Amino acid sequence: MSLIELKSVSKIYPLGNQQVVAVANLSLKIKAGEFTVLAGPSGSGKTTLLNLIGCLDQPSEGEVWLDGHNVGKEEAKQLAKLRLNKIGFIFQSYNLIPVLTAAENAEFTLMLLGIDKVKRRQRIVELFAELGLQGLEDRNPSDLSGGQQQRVAIARAMAAQPAVILADEPTASLDLQTSEDLLALMQRLNETQGVTFVFSSHDPLVISHARRVVSLRDGCLESDR
Amino acid sequence: MLWRLAIRNIWRNRRRTLLTLSAMVVSSALLILCLGIFSGMLKDMLASATEQYFGHLEISTKGYQEDRDMFANFSVSDDFLLLLQPQVLGFSPRLRSFGLLSGQDKSSPVELLGVEPERERQVTSLQDHLQAGSYLLADDHEGALIGAGLARRLAVKPGDQLVFVTQAADGSIGNDLLTVRGVFATGDQGHDNGLVLVALPWLQQLLVLPGRLHEIAVRIEHPLQAAAFAAQLRQKLPTTLEVLDWGELLPEMREVVASYDVSRLIIVSILYVATGLGILNTFFMSVMERTREFGVLMAVGMRPGQVRLMVLLETLAMGLLALLIGVVFGVLLSLYMAYVGIDLSGSLTPITYAGGTILPRLHAVLEVTNVLVPAAVLLLVCLLAGFLPANRAARMQPVVAIREE
Repeated sequence: MSLIELKSVSKIYPLGNQQVVAVANLSLKIKAGEFTVLAGPSGSGKTTLLNLIGCLDQPSEGEVWLDGHNVGKEEAKQLAKLRLNKIGFIFQSYNLIPVLTAAENAEFTLMLLGIDKVKRRQRIVELFAELGLQGLEDRNPSDLSGGQQQRVAIARAMAAQPAVILADEPTASLDLQTSEDLLALMQRLNETQGVTFVFSSHDPLVISHARRVVSLRDGCLESDR
Repeated sequence: MLWRLAIRNIWRNRRRTLLTLSAMVVSSALLILCLGIFSGMLKDMLASATEQYFGHLEISTKGYQEDRDMFANFSVSDDFLLLLQPQVLGFSPRLRSFGLLSGQDKSSPVELLGVEPERERQVTSLQDHLQAGSYLLADDHEGALIGAGLARRLAVKPGDQLVFVTQAADGSIGNDLLTVRGVFATGDQGHDNGLVLVALPWLQQLLVLPGRLHEIAVRIEHPLQAAAFAAQLRQKLPTTLEVLDWGELLPEMREVVASYDVSRLIIVSILYVATGLGILNTFFMSVMERTREFGVLMAVGMRPGQVRLMVLLETLAMGLLALLIGVVFGVLLSLYMAYVGIDLSGSLTPITYAGGTILPRLHAVLEVTNVLVPAAVLLLVCLLAGFLPANRAARMQPVVAIREE
């Protein structure tokens, strides 16, 4: 059974008097444990597709299913619950909460889930060791490099052990070496822990690491290999 | 967790937070001081109206307080007086007469109150307003305590002799000598120019009304509860007697007291509307600046209700902090004004209004409600002012918010 399934999904945005079709009649299935990249040039609809999968947006037509939930039918509160329990997000510009330390950022979803402090700390120690962030727990995001911030963002995305981690252009703000390191790290997490990753990117480096590349153009599926 | 986030968030823009906090602290502190001074003025007025003459209650025969008829007198047993004792701070049996008082070579119409000095000083505070001489002594049969204006008019001072002439109850003309023992100045022109306190037995003898009284003035612990106490007392007294509280004796003063609450409400409203707008502005800016962050918080699973609560907690945290500092400053200022105050007698004279006297001084009374009202309203204003921005944050679409720069 697919973890994510899109059935004839379209997303249309109003723009003045016109309507912009960001995703057009697209169907797609992603299984648990995949390492998939949604590739395509700017405006191809990959971020819109990622937002739809991530319950941040709802389709204009069609159905988006995530781990058995029809995203289009859920209320805002239910969508928040789905995001908390099923999805981890990694953003292009890290988007760490500036008033929280690295460790607090990473354990934020665990706090929302109501997990007690001891278990949270234990999880963060494991994650920080895994991601090479030891010693940075009490640093503020502004005191971390871009690569370190993105690792903290990965820790935050992974902390609650979600069904899928969605990464929107995760290497776009990083230098080549840091990007290589992070991709290798995510690939390792995918292979060793079975974490499902879905990226949106037009970066050839990211695409080269993917096991599945879904190419989009003008909101339509161009290829799936 | 939400508290931690809220508290850290309010210190993100220290300068803006400090400016908003200052406005909140100043408004709450000034409000506490202002209400304290209002209470001080009100207490002064009420005290001048009641503690210089009427007392808080008057027991007399029905209708006496309207026409002051000499024959509307009564007598009471010691048992009756005992009835009052456990419930009041003091009571003073009185007999009243109106007549002509003469000094060296001048005369003036006056009101004489025959009192038992020791009992009278439990009810009124003329002993605190002595300008010259001394208060009447218990065994002083012919002494008189007169107002400062009257003393000036008659050109008399303590030790001088006076002659009082009036009509007695038996139709005869009563006249007798008095000796000035002291001169009082209350600031109330009516009393200072025409009131004389004399010994009760002396006046009873002069009016040929032995053992008779016109009224019993009563002082109680809580003047604002005088009406309720009067109602209780009426149940216990003979039907020929009536009990009037100060509100019935001085209806204008009752209106002043009633208007105090309205004035307080207006002052609180004006100050806090301005403060509320400042808070609203601060938190709207804070929310607008953090649009993207709210989007991220919701993307990672924070519910809209939690976002709303977080912003409200920020306003509440700021309100509590401002309240703490504001109350400390407000109480300190009020204490200064309560114990030191500002004397304005150099430039202002006492003003008599509604039967009470507004003294030329600014002084405060520290009352619990004068602290609680500004405190509670400040918190309410914070929550109200925080609600709009909090609601805006909670209603954001995460996908739109994340795109905000």
